[in-house]
Amino acid sequence: MKTRKRGFLVTTLMALAMFSLVLSACGTKPEAANNNGAGSSNEAAAGNELEAIKKAGVIKVGMMGTYQPYNFLNDKKELDGFDVDIANELAKRIGVKAEFTAQEFSGLIPSLQKKKFDAVISQVTITPDREKVIDFTDPYITNNVNIIVNNKTNDITKLEDFKGKTIGVGLGTNDESYLRNEVLPKVGDFEIKTYDDVITSLKDLNSGRIDATINNLYALKPIVDKNGFQIKAVGEPIKSDQAGVAINKDTPELKAALNKALKEMKEDGTYKTIFKKWFGEEPKE
Amino acid sequence: MLELMWENVPFLLKGAYYTLYITIVSMLFGLMIGLVVAVARLKGNRPVRWLARSYVSIIRGTPVLVQIAVIYYGLDDYGISFGSLTAACLALSINTGAYLSETFRGAILAVPKGQTEAAYATGMSPGQTMRRIILPQAVRIAIPPMGNTFVGMLKETSLVSVIGVSELMRQAQLLQAQYLRYMPFLLEIGIMYWIMSIGFSAILERVEKRLARAY
Repeated sequence: MKTRKRGFLVTTLMALAMFSLVLSACGTKPEAANNNGAGSSNEAAAGNELEAIKKAGVIKVGMMGTYQPYNFLNDKKELDGFDVDIANELAKRIGVKAEFTAQEFSGLIPSLQKKKFDAVISQVTITPDREKVIDFTDPYITNNVNIIVNNKTNDITKLEDFKGKTIGVGLGTNDESYLRNEVLPKVGDFEIKTYDDVITSLKDLNSGRIDATINNLYALKPIVDKNGFQIKAVGEPIKSDQAGVAINKDTPELKAALNKALKEMKEDGTYKTIFKKWFGEEPKE
Repeated sequence: MLELMWENVPFLLKGAYYTLYITIVSMLFGLMIGLVVAVARLKGNRPVRWLARSYVSIIRGTPVLVQIAVIYYGLDDYGISFGSLTAACLALSINTGAYLSETFRGAILAVPKGQTEAAYATGMSPGQTMRRIILPQAVRIAIPPMGNTFVGMLKETSLVSVIGVSELMRQAQLLQAQYLRYMPFLLEIGIMYWIMSIGFSAILERVEKRLARAY
């Protein structure tokens, strides 16, 4: 009887501890809410973001981790790829280490805004819409986007051919908003199917579940090489995108430091080496 | 295919560790929440009862995925920020707590009224009656449905992959993207989830037998 009583006491105490934990978390609310209430998304110490990163010795970087050859797991089960090399090089140049978190693309920018990451380096295309909510460094890569179809498909070569078809695209990507906001009104009805990673969309394209997708050729190559997917790029590039390192707004010091590092990388040839390593050709710029 | 599955066992086990971790932590907190809420619904005064009932209704009436997003992204709008692992545990604890509270409530109600009356007759207070007479019996009744909830939760942990926790599902997604193959890894994590749920069932079965012996 005695032990049972104690058990209940412990349970109650632990439950109370948990509730107080939740309550204490709520206790920080007014302070932070004030900043939000001021109508800006910056936090009080936003200017110190670079300092905070340096102090921690770590820059937290978010990426998809499923986008060859930009960011993916290598044979040693470590994140690897163009974006990873760029991130590591940037981190080195500001004197810290990069710590990576792999997360679905659609969650990367929300997580950045919520300060779960210091930066997102995952082929985030610089767009005016995104620039309203986050900040970008100078672009670090330009990607041509093509229409990609199954080898058997011959009736799609341009955007106008999308009418009545099912088109796959990454959820929350720049390509998705491009399809929805620009192509859809122009071309007329077609169905958009969204995916959380590139591989799934290409797999579905290969097996005929979708009629076409749009993506860049660098991303396509390793997948086709490795997997023998019966898919091909058609027509001229429909657009060309520039990706930058995504960071939070009102972090001018961080932005300046990253831009400086990028510039130095390009000047001393490190950038070119990384680019050639992953894409087998010289950067065009 | 078997070779591919075999050489990736260690990588997936890392994911299984987080899956198990989240499951166990959420189970423990879920149990506490469930017990407190069940008692609150049965013995609390009007506002407490209403609060408890709203909690259960809201949690059971909304998708876990929404709850996870609310805790990870939503609360952050108000300056309440959790790491992804903490957010995952918190969301699933709150979720399981709601389901378990119903299990406990049912179990408490299933203890015959005569037990309460007899306890009162021996001079026990309502609190004592609850702790010493009703709850020990109710726990026994609650174990089989509790097992259901736990095993269900074990699988629901796969949903927290969306907030970047490298649990089993997330690890498999990374492998799928690396090797560009699906079936080997889906099969593999399927087996891992299955083994873990068998483990939970076995533990609960033992607990059930132990409790049966005590009376």
